[in-house]
Amino acid sequence: MSNELENIPIRQELEVLQSGQKRTNPLANVFDGLVKFCRSRSMFMLHYCTGCGAIELPPAMTSRFDMERLGIQPMVTPRQADILLITGYVSIKTLKRIILTYEQMGSPKYVIGICSCTVNGGMYWQSYATAKVLRDYLPVDVYIAGCMPRPEAVISGLRELMEDISSGRAESWKKYYQHYDYYLGNQQKLFGEDWQTPTDIIAEARHYDLMTEHTLGEHTALLEKHQKPLEALEMRLSVKDKQKV
Amino acid sequence: MSKELNIWLDNLLSDIESVQFQRRNSRRVRVDVGSEALPALLELLQGRASYVHLSAITCVDWIEDGQFELVYHVWSYETRSLVSVHTRIPRDPGVYLSIYDLYQPAAFFERDIHEMYGLYFEGSPDMEKFILTEWNGPPPMRKDFDGEAFVNEHFHWEQYHPQWLKDLEEEGGGITVRPEDVR
Ligand code: SF4
Repeated sequence: MSNELENIPIRQELEVLQSGQKRTNPLANVFDGLVKFCRSRSMFMLHYCTGCGAIELPPAMTSRFDMERLGIQPMVTPRQADILLITGYVSIKTLKRIILTYEQMGSPKYVIGICSCTVNGGMYWQSYATAKVLRDYLPVDVYIAGCMPRPEAVISGLRELMEDISSGRAESWKKYYQHYDYYLGNQQKLFGEDWQTPTDIIAEARHYDLMTEHTLGEHTALLEKHQKPLEALEMRLSVKDKQKV
Repeated sequence: MSKELNIWLDNLLSDIESVQFQRRNSRRVRVDVGSEALPALLELLQGRASYVHLSAITCVDWIEDGQFELVYHVWSYETRSLVSVHTRIPRDPGVYLSIYDLYQPAAFFERDIHEMYGLYFEGSPDMEKFILTEWNGPPPMRKDFDGEAFVNEHFHWEQYHPQWLKDLEEEGGGITVRPEDVR
């Protein structure tokens, strides 16, 4: 299976495109630039409304500030989204769901942390229930600080992300594969040793060819030790005896 | 009718010894009662005086007195007033009677208090975890739980030392009052 995946020809193209290297063919460079430009102008945003900062999103999304004119639209599922918008304090329970969601998104993916709470705990710094520094647990592309940031600030943060994408700087999603051991370690520290998600990040890292010496380590070894194989959920049907005709 | 009922209730409550009665205004009454007498009082309020709506049960941890204070807020649609019944029970062992048989919504409040304060209600239908399903520490609302120590043990902080601050420090300035100093 993994061999088959490795033979998919598009991989190499992607690699060059995403590594930010220039290609020898000038036409290809133009093409890369075009792809990046297009990618930055059409983004689907999964807004995970974790905290109070979410209240600034409706005006930012709708007619008042209208982020759709920048090509940013809300999306309802992680699989079809490019941006994960985390709006405010993240309780430890929520953080688990955020990580599940993040891992399900297709690459390239971008994370925006809105609100001071995602930066350093904000006014909940003393709370036992919230995680403090979001970027310990998953890579964050843009932080928008404020309690809460106004829609103008949200929009300017999104514009910054667009800028980063079109110039090839928004590469944090690769970091998750390249430094998976670090992120997993922080997650395990909070959720316990037997923390596991349904997504096989290590296999994905292999597939994207993003394995580095930091991908595997003591924490991934711990994961392997505790990992339970994923099984399909069982479904049973029962049919009552048909009435005899 | 409702006026009369109020007067009747006031008279009755101020007559019973061991019940401290204060009428705050026409719609609020505070009653302090011993923990043995509380269920009986609630039964009386619910039955005759039609205090049928249990709005909330709140809990206060008086750690210095070694006591938990429970406050039962009951509302009557007929007399349009809220009675807050206060009672105190010893913090240790922290067990009290459930009033689920009188007011069914109590199950919800009692479960919540059990989770946050570790107080056990005998006869409550469900004392399982409620919101903190993934929490293994001590009940976090107890005063002896030190949230700040917990946070410092489990999290670290993002260091913020931007260029403008460095510039200020080079000129001999910098932060003069830190949040830690004023707290
Ligand atoms: S930074 Fe302020 S507005 Fe944002 S989630 Fe935290 S408390 Fe709420």
